[in-house]
Amino acid sequence: MQTYIAKRLLLIIPTLLGAAALVFVIMRVIPGDVALLIFGGDQAGHIDPKQLAAMRHRLGLDQPLIVQFGTWLWGVLRFDFGNSLWTGRPVVEELLVRLPLSLELALAATVVSVVIAIPFGMLAAVRQDTWVDYVIRVISIGGLAIPSFWVGILCILFLVIWFGWGPPLEFTPPWVDPWANFQQMVWPIVTVGYRYAAVTTRMTRSTLLEVLREDYIRTAWAKGQRERAIVFRHGLKNAMLPVITLIGTEFAFLIGGLVVTETVFTLNGVGRFVVDAVAHRDYPVVQALVFLIAFSFVIVNLLVDLTYAWFDPRIRYR
Amino acid sequence: MQRHRALFTVLALVLIGSLVVTIVRAAETPRRGGVLLAAIGADAPSLDPHQEQTFATIELVAPLYSTLLQIDPLQYPKIIGDVATEWKIAPDGLAYTFKLHQGIRFHDGSPLTAADVKATYDKVVFPPEGVRSIRKNAYTAIGSIEAPDSSTVVFKLKFPSASLLANLASPWNVIYPKKYLDKDPNYFKTNIVGSGPFKFKNYTRGSSFEGERNPDYFVKDRPYLDGYKFFISPETSVRAAALRSGRAFIEFRTMPGAEVDAIRKQLGSKIVVQETPGTGLFGIAINNTVKPFTDVRVRKALTLAFDRYTASRVLYPLASLRDVGGLMRPGTEWATSEAELQRLPGFGRDMEKNRAEARRLLAEAGYPNGFKLILKNRNVKVPYQDFAVFAIQEWRKIGVEAEHRPLETAAWFADGRDTGSFELIISGTFNYIDDPDLFLQRYTTGDPSNWGRFSDPRIDDLFSRQTRALDPSERKRHINEIEKIVLDNAYYIPGLWWRRAVVHWAKVKNYVAPPNHFSNQKLQDVWLAED
Repeated sequence: MQTYIAKRLLLIIPTLLGAAALVFVIMRVIPGDVALLIFGGDQAGHIDPKQLAAMRHRLGLDQPLIVQFGTWLWGVLRFDFGNSLWTGRPVVEELLVRLPLSLELALAATVVSVVIAIPFGMLAAVRQDTWVDYVIRVISIGGLAIPSFWVGILCILFLVIWFGWGPPLEFTPPWVDPWANFQQMVWPIVTVGYRYAAVTTRMTRSTLLEVLREDYIRTAWAKGQRERAIVFRHGLKNAMLPVITLIGTEFAFLIGGLVVTETVFTLNGVGRFVVDAVAHRDYPVVQALVFLIAFSFVIVNLLVDLTYAWFDPRIRYR
Repeated sequence: MQRHRALFTVLALVLIGSLVVTIVRAAETPRRGGVLLAAIGADAPSLDPHQEQTFATIELVAPLYSTLLQIDPLQYPKIIGDVATEWKIAPDGLAYTFKLHQGIRFHDGSPLTAADVKATYDKVVFPPEGVRSIRKNAYTAIGSIEAPDSSTVVFKLKFPSASLLANLASPWNVIYPKKYLDKDPNYFKTNIVGSGPFKFKNYTRGSSFEGERNPDYFVKDRPYLDGYKFFISPETSVRAAALRSGRAFIEFRTMPGAEVDAIRKQLGSKIVVQETPGTGLFGIAINNTVKPFTDVRVRKALTLAFDRYTASRVLYPLASLRDVGGLMRPGTEWATSEAELQRLPGFGRDMEKNRAEARRLLAEAGYPNGFKLILKNRNVKVPYQDFAVFAIQEWRKIGVEAEHRPLETAAWFADGRDTGSFELIISGTFNYIDDPDLFLQRYTTGDPSNWGRFSDPRIDDLFSRQTRALDPSERKRHINEIEKIVLDNAYYIPGLWWRRAVVHWAKVKNYVAPPNHFSNQKLQDVWLAED
């Protein structure tokens, strides 16, 4: 097991390098140049070629690509992701402002999803084709079909129109003021959690249904075991592997993939930061963020793989 | 007994009357304190107004700085002093001498002197290498700037300039301390040291920006507010919800008509809507260097087919675009009269006739069945995409099929301004004052804002003459002539002029919305009637 974990941890290095190199190339291939943008503003302006060249030099963009990549990589090894080309502030500093919010949202939405989805998915599977199943299916299909941002906007409009109240516009960390944090975060958590729970409910229901039709379940019924034991001990445990994979992937996605939800709820999270950085061709920021997101995916996948062994003791890692 | 009752009634009435008068007076007396909460639709690309052109920068930082002159916060477009107390113009119009307020201090405690004003304008007019000055073309008349003593600044001109005072009242030209500019001319992209009514407090990029009262502000008893705070949200509906819930008291830029109606309906008299015309023209740049747009008949057909009067009705509630006009804002002293305008291509009210003429021109140019074109655009819904969608359906009526290609902002700049890689592209111009230099320079040869890349020596000559013309009627003649040439040749397709609807809570007092979202952002006179 330890060898397996060590191997997986080592594999993180080429994965992250690959992701970083890919993004590095893509950012420089797409049209638009950060130096031009810095000279651009919102509308047209005068651009002096000399000034442009000086700006490129100042930003290090006149160096060969391989040198730029090497410099960046050397910085990463020292945990120095460079400075934002736009604000001039260290990327790590910029990231630390946003990461707590994104982590809180991702974690809370995952908890909401798991707490709702697994019992409801089970219930729908066990009571297949009854009214309980139909209600759960309708709600969960609604969660899949309705875009999260729309649910978010409806949430806000409902609060504003009916109660003349809207969520706070600025993030307050829970350790500073838990109540202010709750007032702001509960709505995006519900919005994101609903979609997340819908996906997980569907997955739990269908995998559990599949498992409940297996021969060993029939044998358990024949042996006269109680329903609770069959569903929980034999059925659910075996049905959980794809559900765990899904939860893990979704969690990693939530860290950087909630641009629209963050926009709707004016949350200053990692998702908006990524989009903003891409639009401004803020290379160091984009590279650092992709690095972070890739790192989250790799770590979450590793944790998911390790969790498999707990659910299914037949799985042994070498 | 009855006499006593009557006396008592009179006394009571007098008391009530005086109480009402006191209350009314108190309501109108500026109240100190409170933090103005505002919603804003974008974050600042940088904090240096000298290098930016977006409301996202100026709205956030204007309260932190002073300027040499300013547009009167309560009477647009009157020009008044800010750090300048008085100024004299030499009889030949070639020297402007400004006297400065004494005792002004920057927020770091250092005094503001003529040397700082000179250093600031040197940066704007004669930028050092590596420093961007996007407005230096507006100051070509300036030959040198001198600071003969600590409270006098002299601008010496190469030729008389009709627009100089207006350009010196630019809200963008905030005064920086010389010592920081000497160290690093880009220092203010990420740092703030101003002398304005508020001091910088906190900035969380993409989220909020805060300023707090400057107790040492040089204008006595100002500002009234303890501070201000902007919440940044690019989503219109979110900003509208913030206003409706009272999380924000004001949105300075504008709100689309539909949102304004909904807010009015919900909040009634708690809310005030200041509707003003806007100093912004939204239109379409035609690349005059690529076929078939090198042919004036094709360009003319496109402008003829665009029904501006219907566009105004359709686009105003969605995109705040409303007024039909030429190249100078309708209703201003420089604008061509409505009757004259209606004789120019695309401004006639009979659309059937316009479309018939457009089809005839296309047939004559060799496109009897129309043709296909690509309309590039910025991927921003309001007002860019709404405007483009309208134009496309108008052109379809004369057989022109336009493919809408929205681009993210960087690519839009790259294709439109930098490389000219487009056939047609949505572009507009927004300025802080109705100044002809600011609005018309983009039609001159080689100007970076001339996205259409056309060149007409008549326009260049007229532009140069109007900027030197100190007699307003002579200047207007040149301006109207430029407008006629641009519209007759359809070098550019003007669409609609922007309309501004500033929504704020009634408790926000003494803010008078000018026809732009760049000036009157210092907030020194604004006060809150209650917290």
